[in-house]
Amino acid sequence: MELDANAFGRSARKALLDKTLQEALGRTTGRFVAHRDAAVAAFPEFEATRERASRIKRDVLDHLDTYLARFIGEAEKRGAIVHVARDPAQAREIAARIARDEGVTLAVKSKSMAAEEISFNEALQGAGVTVVESDLGEFIIQLAGEAPSHIIAPAVHKTREEISRLFERHLGEPRTDSIPELVGMARKHLRAKFLSAGMGVSGGNFLAADTGSVVLVTNEGNGRMGTVLPRVHLAVVGIEKIIPRMADLPTFLRLLPRSTSGQTISSYVSILTGTRRPGDPEGPERMHILLLDCGRSAILEGKYREILKCIRCAACLNACPVYQSVGGHAYGWVYSGPIGAVLTPLLVGLPEAAALPDASTLCGACADVCPVKIPLPDFLLELRSDAREQGLKTPGEIAAMKGYAGVMKRAGLLEAIERIAGVLGQFFTKGKGIGGMPYPFSGWTERRDFPAPAARPFRKRWKIKRGVMR
Amino acid sequence: MNERESLFRRLSAACAGHDGAAAGEPLPDGAPTAPEGDRVALFAKTFTAAGGVLFRGPVETALSDLGETLRAEGVTSLFFPEGDAAAREIAEALVPFGPFNLTTGAEVRGGSAEVTAGFSSAEAAIAETGTIVETSAGGKTLLPGLIADVHVSIVPAASVVVRMEEALAAFTAYPPRNISFLSGPSKTADIEQTLTVGAHGPKKAIALLLAQDTLSLLPRLEPRVSR
Repeated sequence: MELDANAFGRSARKALLDKTLQEALGRTTGRFVAHRDAAVAAFPEFEATRERASRIKRDVLDHLDTYLARFIGEAEKRGAIVHVARDPAQAREIAARIARDEGVTLAVKSKSMAAEEISFNEALQGAGVTVVESDLGEFIIQLAGEAPSHIIAPAVHKTREEISRLFERHLGEPRTDSIPELVGMARKHLRAKFLSAGMGVSGGNFLAADTGSVVLVTNEGNGRMGTVLPRVHLAVVGIEKIIPRMADLPTFLRLLPRSTSGQTISSYVSILTGTRRPGDPEGPERMHILLLDCGRSAILEGKYREILKCIRCAACLNACPVYQSVGGHAYGWVYSGPIGAVLTPLLVGLPEAAALPDASTLCGACADVCPVKIPLPDFLLELRSDAREQGLKTPGEIAAMKGYAGVMKRAGLLEAIERIAGVLGQFFTKGKGIGGMPYPFSGWTERRDFPAPAARPFRKRWKIKRGVMR
Repeated sequence: MNERESLFRRLSAACAGHDGAAAGEPLPDGAPTAPEGDRVALFAKTFTAAGGVLFRGPVETALSDLGETLRAEGVTSLFFPEGDAAAREIAEALVPFGPFNLTTGAEVRGGSAEVTAGFSSAEAAIAETGTIVETSAGGKTLLPGLIADVHVSIVPAASVVVRMEEALAAFTAYPPRNISFLSGPSKTADIEQTLTVGAHGPKKAIALLLAQDTLSLLPRLEPRVSR
């Protein structure tokens, strides 16, 4: 996927003005949050399970070399062919070679962020292979020629009218405003693809090291179809998706659907190990597993290694007030929300995505909901400081922050400024808030609506309330 | 040095200094302790919560309810795997509730115009999550729960376990190609966040919960409603 992360400010403004998107976001994120909260409240063991999952993942990161070697050995023992790719270019080359060697002309793909990361579809198209997205949301945005806007609900920004128009144009279906009818049209169209495709492409939610299994969690059943019906199965997965044992899977299955959609469990979990066995009536004759490093081993070496614990549940997206306001496209790459704001700069390089760590209020909601306890706000802050050290902040910004710190450290000075700002602010803004300020403050105000300073500052009100002052 | 060796060199460097605890250090158990009460009753509750439809009680009543439901869904064809005796027995017993065609496969895979109900015996059911467990172990087919419009799982009460761990334990040593957890119908909310069934897999997931495995009485059943 093309990278445009540093355009966050511009993209965010566009998103805020997009009425359809704003309606969709309002409808979606609130519902996800409510469902997630209800599911967690109904599961008293959530905290203990979360702690357990976090420790398992930390153990995996501490011994990733050992576990990955085990995974590869077990998978190969059961007939899978394992490939490793250092970077996206190499991953594309391997994927194209697999498709060519297997004689594939049509591939059905289920949702995979890892595949998005390496621009998988373009690689296969370059090798003459038609790639059909089979997740309904991904299918819709593929028809529309767009990029996904949410890890879990990629077409969250599309209305039924827009989708019906797409189905009319691309599938020759009559117009309808019935959602079940739209789903039925996609089902019919995609079923034919599943039955004729030479290769099913999947991601992988988990890789069990002790059995060499790839685990897929889906609701639609597309991941299941694409890994049972076609002759070849290709799984594209990041190396950090390892869990030590198949027996650890229930721990993560108790967290992932609850955190994602508030479900106790998703409709389908497929645990896929090797190729079809002699006597099996179906299942792929060939299984390829393409393991992606693509920056992960470098992250593992540094201070942000815990970001690799992520299980891609999207709970942090839904909980984030910035994501709730601007949606996924504004983040300019595969990953959005708080996880994207941390992971993207780490995977593509901070200079390419320095705008993203600033796309946060540091409210901490992301860390509260993370099912594997990733300290996202700490990482966002740390990345901002890295950006400064790497010379990615403007002198104006640095001076402003220095000034801010100086004021905040001196109570008397702060009070004096508050008093003056209160009077001047009310006078100049007439209580309406601060819009465009001149440089160096323009960097602050052009992306934020700042309220007018209160006529009576908070600290003064507090003192009055407590009876210290009148 | 090939790509794999070079990856492991990078990983070993990154893992060095992080080997405080041994790999696979024992962990506190975060799994729910075995819930109280009847595991079968819990399964009935969770399976229904996942969007499934459960039939239980006396076989005669359960089958007749199932037959009516299949007819109401517009099912015209009953599909069972060749080697699944219980699935065959149930499907055959339902014929009088039809008109239903019986089939064992090929035409269903070809994407026939019929509305099909696929029958299969569950290997286990998980009460914690309302899950039917099916695998490819021993050359079993997964098609009834994969491509049919309605999936009917035959679940002997004795096969219901409480936790996911119990269901997986049987397969960790020699995992088959495919272990599937099926919990309710195929779902999507990708259009306007509206929950819709039957995205790719079955639109209806039915569990027929049987007190015992033997079904010798079945062929003598007649539909309660005559038409």
